[in-house]
Parts: sequence; structure tokens; C-alpha cells
Amino acid sequence: MSNQPQVPGKPTQTGTSLVETATSTIQDFQPVNQIHQHLCAFHFYAYDMTRQVEAHHFCAHLNDEMRQCLIFDGPNKNAKLIGVEYIISEKLFLTLPDEEKKLWHSHLYEVKSGVLFMPCIPGPIERTEMDKVCKTYGKTTHFWQIDKGHDLPLGLPQLMMALTRDGQLYDELAQDVEKRFGVSFEKERKNRADLTGPAHGIHPLANGGGKGVELKLREVDCKPARVFV
Amino acid sequence: MASSDQSPAPTPAQGTDPTPHGQPMTMGQHVIDKGAAMMQSLTPVKQISQHVCTFASYSHDMSRQIETHHYITRQNQEFLQCAVYDAEDKKAHLIGVEYIISDRLFETLNEEEQKLWHSHAYEIKSGLWVNPRIPEMIGQPELENLAKTYGKFWCTWQVDRGDKLPMGAPALMMSPQGVKLGKIDPELVKKRDDKYNISTEAIQKSRLEIEEPEWINPQADYWKQHGKGFAIDIEETEMKLRAPFP
Repeated sequence: MSNQPQVPGKPTQTGTSLVETATSTIQDFQPVNQIHQHLCAFHFYAYDMTRQVEAHHFCAHLNDEMRQCLIFDGPNKNAKLIGVEYIISEKLFLTLPDEEKKLWHSHLYEVKSGVLFMPCIPGPIERTEMDKVCKTYGKTTHFWQIDKGHDLPLGLPQLMMALTRDGQLYDELAQDVEKRFGVSFEKERKNRADLTGPAHGIHPLANGGGKGVELKLREVDCKPARVFV
Repeated sequence: MASSDQSPAPTPAQGTDPTPHGQPMTMGQHVIDKGAAMMQSLTPVKQISQHVCTFASYSHDMSRQIETHHYITRQNQEFLQCAVYDAEDKKAHLIGVEYIISDRLFETLNEEEQKLWHSHAYEIKSGLWVNPRIPEMIGQPELENLAKTYGKFWCTWQVDRGDKLPMGAPALMMSPQGVKLGKIDPELVKKRDDKYNISTEAIQKSRLEIEEPEWINPQADYWKQHGKGFAIDIEETEMKLRAPFP
């Protein structure tokens, strides 16, 4: 969004850039080269629906049933890497232990309401993807609370949740995204009316099992050091 | 719920085979992906400018050590953001994120925050941190700067314990250090060296001249002075709402 804090720090020095020009030319970045999709959506903190964040997902398929995504706060050059999301099929979701299922959220509402979209992708192609995504579950962790105006990634990781019904998303957030990307959520909602969600319905334990979830830090004693021969 | 220092309940999502569950990609999906990649600029990902291979350990159990592959974007002279994977090939798992900041920025953090960070001087001087396939002399000019930085690394997928899917709470990671718990298993290092046909020992010698930072903040590498690591717990709580949920 428009008023994000800038990351503090002196501008990059020429010598530093030169090294990185070399590395980016010579090295190959295979895991990252698999990233081939940009999805835009909204997340909120798993303990606080009133704190909502625009989330740009850059996704790679590990296989047909699993994606791993880097989440940035925007689509541009200086976007901050703020989190990760894993997206899995219903089939994989059902293999998770019950306690784990609570940490995952459903995508059905986000897709059917139109608020989850792929910038610059024509509607019919986007819809083929959306048909898959709306049956999946996601697990999202953010490390940088930009909505608090943090200019550095402070504090603990934050489990995030996704929108599950009308009335949750702030109108201003929605309108700002619609304007900047030239999309209409209402229009897409109509186009996506016939998409269907997980075959077994949204699992009752997903989405926190309906409860809030918070991550806390605990100090632990270090185990004794191993001796390497 | 599965805290970062607890193993998740046994399920098909765990096991000895590290390949993730799931059907292989269909041709149709490949076509969609190629098409999308052509139409979308994917700009933030295009900013990634270097690949580093190094090692890390879990702060709640430093005997668990992993080889990591960082894909790094520089925001400015004092800040780097890294997408971290467990390997460098197409099938690598995205296992977490690390942020790297200058010592100047580190000193602006409060003490509670500083505990979550680790120093990089040893990791770099020891030759553990390398840019694969980049001749040492190209990478070296930057190492003196990097040796003064601090990192904060959260791991979201504990592949090394057999998780076929990312389970439980994120785990805080620590960096290699020259003493006790910070020492990396030589077998792990050898395996890495053989893969890239390098010698960490030789690289260490070539980095002797790199200046050590004058001082490393004792709040970083918290285990060193305090004998404590950190785990993350997952707690159920009341969600603050503005509309019904779910």
C-alpha cells in the first residue's frame, strides 16, 4: 500500500552492487526460478481480524497438490518479503493431524468473492486456476508486521488467517486494491459463481477451528553439546 | 498444539521419504504456469541477486543442524531479505526466511528483540558461508561487510525431522559459531564440500585477512552467554473480530 515505511539503511554501494551483478549473472537460482504465479489476496492476524494486510503471493508448484509461496507487501522492486504461505490440496490437508489442521485456512470464500486474484491474467485463464485454488487450504506465517509501521521485521512470527465471509474485509482496503490493479471484485464474484470448494466441504478444524491462534515465545535450556570425533 | 520444539503427531504427513506428498504436475498445469509467468512481471522475485550456501541449527536443539540455501535480495547497503530453501534444485523445499541487517541497525533494536538474532562473523570467516560457483576473489570484497551483520532466521518447514508437509510452529534458527554448540558436524560440511568440489578449510585460510568485527553484541547468539534457546508455542485465544468468524 501507499504509506509503507521504508527500510532503513544507507543506499547500496557500487562495490556491493558489482558483486551482486556477478552473482546474479553466474549463479542459477533454480528453486526461485520455479516461481511462476503472482496471486494477490488479503490476510489478517490469526488473533485479530481487525488487522488486515494486502499480501502478494509469488508461488511455485512443488507438485500438482502443493505450492510454496513467498509473500511480499507489494508487486514492485522494493517490495518487502514479509512471509510465506504453503498451499495444499484437500487430499493432503486431510492427512494432517487434527491439531495441525487448525493452523490452515480455507480459500473458498476468497476465491468465490473475487478478492483473491492474479494480476494481469485474463479472466478465463485465471478462472481455471481459481477453480483449483478454491479447493485448497493454506498455511500462512508473516514475519514482518508492516501494518504496525515497523520498518524492520520485529518480534515473533505471526500465524495469519484468510477471509471466510462477507463483512470481514475493510471496504477501503478492497477499493484501494481494485483501483490499483484495475479489477472489480463484484464482477469476478459473478464470473466465479459456479466454482466449487473442497469435495468434503470446509473442514471444521480449519481456520483455527473457529478460534483465534497466537504464537508465543518460550525459553528452553540448551541441550549439552555433541562431541565431534 | 505442536510447538516448534515438539514433534508433530505421527501421520502420513511424516515419514522417512523426504519427497513431498502429492501427484506430479499435469501438463495442463505446466501450460498455465508458463502462460502466467509470461504475462506477470514477478518483479519482487526478479530482485533476488545471490545464492548463498551455509549452515544453521535449531535454537531449541542445536544438535539439529541443516545445510541451507539462501536466495537473497538486497534492499540497501544495510538490509538483506532471504528466501531459504533446503537444497538448490527445482524440488527444493521453501523452509523459511532470514533477514540480515548491519551492526548499526542491530544496535537500534531493543534487548528483547536482539535475543532473536545471531551474528555472522564466524560463519563467514570459517568458510561455511559460500556463494556456490562464484570464485572466492569475486565474492570476497563483500564478505567484510557481511561479517559484521546479524541475522534473524525463522524456519517454517522442519524437513530434517521427516515432515512431508510444513507442520507446527515456526522455529528460530541460530548460526554456526566457533565454540561448543555452535560447531557444525564435519560430516555435514564434507557432504556440502564434495557436492561443490570446494574445501571449506581452504576457504577459511583465504579469509584470514578479513577483518573481524570489533565487537559482537552479547544479546545475539543468546545461547552462548545464557545457555538458553527459544521455542515457539501455539496458543488458542479469543480472536478480536469485526464480523462473524468463520
